[in-house]
Amino acid sequence: MSKKREFWPVIFLTLVVVISIVALTLTDGITKDKIAQEKQDAITEMLATLFSDMESFTYDEDGGLYTVLSGGDPIGHAFMAQGRGYGGVIDILIGLKPDDKSLQGIKIITQQETPGLGAKIINASFLDQFKGVGVDEVNLSRNGGKIDAITGATISSTAVVNGVKQAIIEELGNQHKGGNS
Amino acid sequence: MSSFGKNLVRGIVRSNPTFVLLLGLCPTLAVSTSLDNAIGMTAAFVFVLLASNILISLVHNYVPDKVRIPVFIVIIATLVSIVDLMMQGFVPALSKSLGIYIPLIVVNCIILGRAEAFASKNGVLDSIADALGIGMGFGVAILLISFIRQLLGTGKLDLFGHHLFTIPGFSENPVSILMLPMGAFLVIGMLLALFKWMGVTKNE
Repeated sequence: MSKKREFWPVIFLTLVVVISIVALTLTDGITKDKIAQEKQDAITEMLATLFSDMESFTYDEDGGLYTVLSGGDPIGHAFMAQGRGYGGVIDILIGLKPDDKSLQGIKIITQQETPGLGAKIINASFLDQFKGVGVDEVNLSRNGGKIDAITGATISSTAVVNGVKQAIIEELGNQHKGGNS
Repeated sequence: MSSFGKNLVRGIVRSNPTFVLLLGLCPTLAVSTSLDNAIGMTAAFVFVLLASNILISLVHNYVPDKVRIPVFIVIIATLVSIVDLMMQGFVPALSKSLGIYIPLIVVNCIILGRAEAFASKNGVLDSIADALGIGMGFGVAILLISFIRQLLGTGKLDLFGHHLFTIPGFSENPVSILMLPMGAFLVIGMLLALFKWMGVTKNE
């Protein structure tokens, strides 16, 4: 009898864990497709905001490179970049024109910058500056580039600009090494 | 008043988790930057607290005392994971803006506190009342804080993409400091002082 009592807590806790595993598996079954779909939709929507003529896209997993297509012809490339912001990592989507010489535009995917200050990097007035800028001209204007920093949000603005600059160098470097396009 | 009503009202004023017990301040301070976040956080929080209080009050007679806390934590963690997955699937925007603070409900001391101090000693009905009361107390507090921070910190009020109100001539130069973590402490400190001064809250 006493032996049974000693093991009862262990058995009880194991039971609770098993029940919770079942509950979580069921929930995962319900939400898994929905979450995957949601992520896919988010990517499609993201690319469509940069390339308004987009009809479809292909994704190269090795280089993390999206090729955006319209009527079967590539109308640009896109890839992710990261900037080190004030509140953490800023994820940025960069769109390049098909010749890879200038920017189609950029879009902030996730950021945790200070609302009302650094979070202004998601405003069109800041992001629109990147449209059509040559890949060599991505820099803050005080460093000889074409992008004006947001007043009161120098760290966040710099983070975006540096993240974009770095990613372009890496991505274009990769392409040259790979020898394609 | 019935014990149900008493337990319900107690959580809102006399033992308000934020303004009287000063529990669970970390998520309260962190997500109270906008009304949207406050509403989403309250919904997630009330769901977890209600479900955990119900489950724990149902099983508390059978739970061996030695593994009481691990059992509570497993129950709460399961509920939080369910909420987290559901939010990612059905309200991805909200899930993104609340970020890490949804998974962190697991270690929210209010929920474990209610499990240990109330649900494990009382019946289901009283535990439901307790959860709703404490949940509303938390909701009122976080809504009030985020209302003040959003209104004065950005000079305007938005709710789920709808624009509600702009303070004329103020939104260009709002008190941005209120949107920073420091501003959360300032707001909550002033509210605490105000409620003390008004005699709404008192030490038990």
